[in-house]
Amino acid sequence: MTDADIVRRVRAGDTAAFAVLVARYRDRLGRYAVHMLGDREDAEEALQDTFVRAYRSLARCEEERFGRWVFGILVNRCRTAGRRASRRHRMFVRDDVSLARTPAAETADRADWDETVRWALGRLAPVLREAFLLKHVEDMEYEEMARYTGVGVSALKMRVKRACDRLRVLLTEVERV
Amino acid sequence: MFDRDDDVLERVVDRLREPIEMDPTLDARVMVRVARSSRRLDWLTRWWDWLRQPREVSIRPLTALAAAAALAGVALWLGTKTSTQGAAGLADTTVVEFVLVAPHAATVSLVGDFNDWDAATTPMHPVKNGSIWSVTVPLPAGRHRYAFLVDGARWLADPAAPRAPDDFGAPSSVVTVGG
Repeated sequence: MTDADIVRRVRAGDTAAFAVLVARYRDRLGRYAVHMLGDREDAEEALQDTFVRAYRSLARCEEERFGRWVFGILVNRCRTAGRRASRRHRMFVRDDVSLARTPAAETADRADWDETVRWALGRLAPVLREAFLLKHVEDMEYEEMARYTGVGVSALKMRVKRACDRLRVLLTEVERV
Repeated sequence: MFDRDDDVLERVVDRLREPIEMDPTLDARVMVRVARSSRRLDWLTRWWDWLRQPREVSIRPLTALAAAAALAGVALWLGTKTSTQGAAGLADTTVVEFVLVAPHAATVSLVGDFNDWDAATTPMHPVKNGSIWSVTVPLPAGRHRYAFLVDGARWLADPAAPRAPDDFGAPSSVVTVGG
């Protein structure tokens, strides 16, 4: 069943069908939220808020574009959640759930690299982290990023470049230690 | 994507693009909130539709006077009733809604320390094609333990609430009212 079929069913009153969309997009959206917020608990909260908001405003969704539309809601929720998290000074803790699922032989190297990536990502200003993740991890075009963030294309290009420069410096520093 | 000497950024992106598995119980927590939201929206939509419908109203002066007197009587009675309840301590209770998504259940009961874990006391009612079960219960302030009993046999903790310690070998959850 396509996203559009499910959206039509939910709009017709079949609330339970929305669970299919939640299951379908949970992990895909979760990846962005975890990387953006650096904390699984905060990411889950942002994800829950995203789905509930999506349900409430489903009338405004173009049926064929549910995935992209709900991703736009998540980008906004992560901005709000990120501001709350920065006030708590609880950014970028270890993702023990991911580590626990990694085979034992790879765990040490993998954990070091994961820690390094997370540390470097956490050192980026939120606007740079957001631009880097949308461009290079979510593989979006600049025009699409501009729609989600409300920021102009040239400013976004600058943010992505600055994020790459900063990551390069940070990771080179780590490799020297 | 990056320059040839940007091997390190390629490795970062490769790592960040790996799938992440979120907690599957998140689905149930979302659906509980969706169900609550759906019921609120249904109620608001019905009221909004009712309010938007144009109506012709005709009323005799004598009927209007009688209606005004009746309304005053009801207001007076409600005022008396509220103060009586306050004296009895009921004013300290909070109405809590419990919701469970159980599309294949035939019956669901809410059991907890507030009803002596009796399955017959608080049956839940199906809404939304029978896939979502709901009941509202007035609870005094404090921590209460509870669980759902599905089809009279299957004991479930609330996936949307903190778990209580399994002292009796059956899963249960905790709801905190007030404070």
